[in-house]
Amino acid sequence: MSETTAERAGIPATSDELARLDYFEDLRDRYLSLDGLDAKWHSFERENSYPSFETCMRLHYFMSHTRAVEETLDSAFRSGHIPGTAYFARGNEAASVGSASCLRDEEWLVPMHRNCGAHLVKGHPARSIMAHFFGRMDGPSRGRDGNFHIGYRPKKITQLISHIGSMIPVAAGIAWAEKARGTGRATLTYIGDGGTSTGDFHEGVNFAAVHKLPVVFIIDNNQYAYKTLLKEQYACKSLILKAPGYGIPGFLIDGTDILLVRKICSEAIDRARAGEGPTLIESVTMRLAGHSVYDKYSDYVDLENLRRWTNERDPLERYDTFLEESGMATIEEISASHARARADAETARDEALKSPFPDPATLNDDVYAP
Amino acid sequence: MGQITYRQAISEALWEEMERDKEVFLYGEDIGLGGGAFYITKGFQEHFGRDRVVDVPLSEAGWTGAAIGAALTGMRPVIEFQFADFVTESFKMIVDLAAGNHFRQMGPVPLVIRLPGAALVSAGPFHSQNPEPWFFGTPGLKIIAPTTAYDAKGMLKTAIRDNNPVIYLEYKKLYNYPVNELPDILRPDIPSDDYTVPFGEARTLREGEDVSLVTFGTTVLQALEAADILEEEGVSTEVIDMRSILPYDKEAILRTVEKTGKLLILHEARKHGGISGEFAAVVAEEAFEHLDAPIQRVGATNTPIPLSPPLENAYLPSTQKVVDALRELAAY
Repeated sequence: MSETTAERAGIPATSDELARLDYFEDLRDRYLSLDGLDAKWHSFERENSYPSFETCMRLHYFMSHTRAVEETLDSAFRSGHIPGTAYFARGNEAASVGSASCLRDEEWLVPMHRNCGAHLVKGHPARSIMAHFFGRMDGPSRGRDGNFHIGYRPKKITQLISHIGSMIPVAAGIAWAEKARGTGRATLTYIGDGGTSTGDFHEGVNFAAVHKLPVVFIIDNNQYAYKTLLKEQYACKSLILKAPGYGIPGFLIDGTDILLVRKICSEAIDRARAGEGPTLIESVTMRLAGHSVYDKYSDYVDLENLRRWTNERDPLERYDTFLEESGMATIEEISASHARARADAETARDEALKSPFPDPATLNDDVYAP
Repeated sequence: MGQITYRQAISEALWEEMERDKEVFLYGEDIGLGGGAFYITKGFQEHFGRDRVVDVPLSEAGWTGAAIGAALTGMRPVIEFQFADFVTESFKMIVDLAAGNHFRQMGPVPLVIRLPGAALVSAGPFHSQNPEPWFFGTPGLKIIAPTTAYDAKGMLKTAIRDNNPVIYLEYKKLYNYPVNELPDILRPDIPSDDYTVPFGEARTLREGEDVSLVTFGTTVLQALEAADILEEEGVSTEVIDMRSILPYDKEAILRTVEKTGKLLILHEARKHGGISGEFAAVVAEEAFEHLDAPIQRVGATNTPIPLSPPLENAYLPSTQKVVDALRELAAY
């Protein structure tokens, strides 16, 4: 057996290793798979997962665009253009773009608050997202909601409700409909580390597992649920250890490595399409900003740990470095991609600000469907 | 044409709609192999298969959310709660997710929520409740309360064809109520052809001149009994079955108040916080000058529903309480 094949087959993870898991150290260029109680380490052979140049640059554009859109929204908030609040996902760009880029147009995306990148790569235009944040008519909810409580029906993206966990059963139900109709389509959804503590998470994942539904659940573990630490959220060492309890496969991955995210998600989505049931993926990142624009992050965050993740696991910087060092793209190509991503975000903001506010006379419209 | 029980009516409506539309399917606990706690879907799974008559895990919020997900794709789920009381498990799914979805421009949610509710002898605090007051303040929902087999069948069909989440209240006490023991007005013939009953239209069960009695749900039985007793005393009572609570037939209430000038509102749910409060307020706002007496209300006491028969009887609105209220109104 060649070394490569051995690595693909994995090296058994001992219970001692699982009990001492460290999200930062233990996921360097490798990931963990769980099939029942069979836990294995796999090295990630990045060189075997190079997408085409076009795909590489598409992923780069959308990661960079995600960050630019959120930074543009952040400054729009500071300028008073956003009624209410705003949640951003700095640090989650690779997880969102890498996963949702595996979906086909006709497949449903069920995003959460920290999945701006998933919206964008699925085809939700930045100007629509921004008009929504600004409470304008050109947002998909026509001013009826804001923030990342946002869906986009033309691209089959659902709108979440604020009650964390509720969308997990909804994603399962969409997958149930796909299976009932025999479409062979997968559904993709997300939940935060805090959301895994809800009853709805359990009920939705269990329902999907029992009915072997074509759905992929990604836990965006960004290590903070608002101001609550992981150790206050769950007692197991890693959330992926829940997968065997549902009888479905689980993967624990570094969510700041877009090529790894894409590999694991596309395999999970392929299994779903093939009728092999759901997969649970724990994608570990670090929330590189506050919970919301109002949140004083420095009050409760471990600054030393934040610095470590910021320096070594900023998904965008990591990908820039990879593209350059692997020779996939030149510095000029990378810079041009960043510039276009930012210019597009700013144009989107300017267009969104031209959209009118809703007329109060429309308030009573559409409470009921015809 | 024929006579069937209320339970058979619900069962027939489900069967015929599933035959008519392949997008209609059922989620519920024990509904497949077992036919459900009240045998509404007995034999369904054998005919329609396990993919359309789905035995779900014991997780109401989970499968309510899943039904909403399927509805977002255009399917037409009908979900059965074993008892109406358990709908509290799914409150946010219905009130926050399903009800507001269309207002938020995220598409229709064609979902029917079947709630077997209200008192059945000594079923206790968790198997006897009337859930409509919990939902009445939520725009985007419809709430339907049929009391005859005719309405149960026709309104369930309307609910399934509606593009909004519909809370369909059904009354356990009426499921197997012997047809020949019902007053004639509560057992109209069921057409053999397909038919529907529209929402938002009350039905006058009995014409009267002196007092109006507006009600819905199981208390139509007490209302008709009380009206018979009052008739022997020379008081003519008009009895109206609302049938549909959201939307409700405001004009029917105003019309009867204009006719008799005296209004009693009756329901099995607690008077405190009950739907009768809204009906009374509308009459006070829009028909005040037609009133010849203060509006009266009869409902359950403002306590949780108890199990032991003497307590349960004291809690529920009895025919005697209705008779007393009608007499007072007539004499005012």
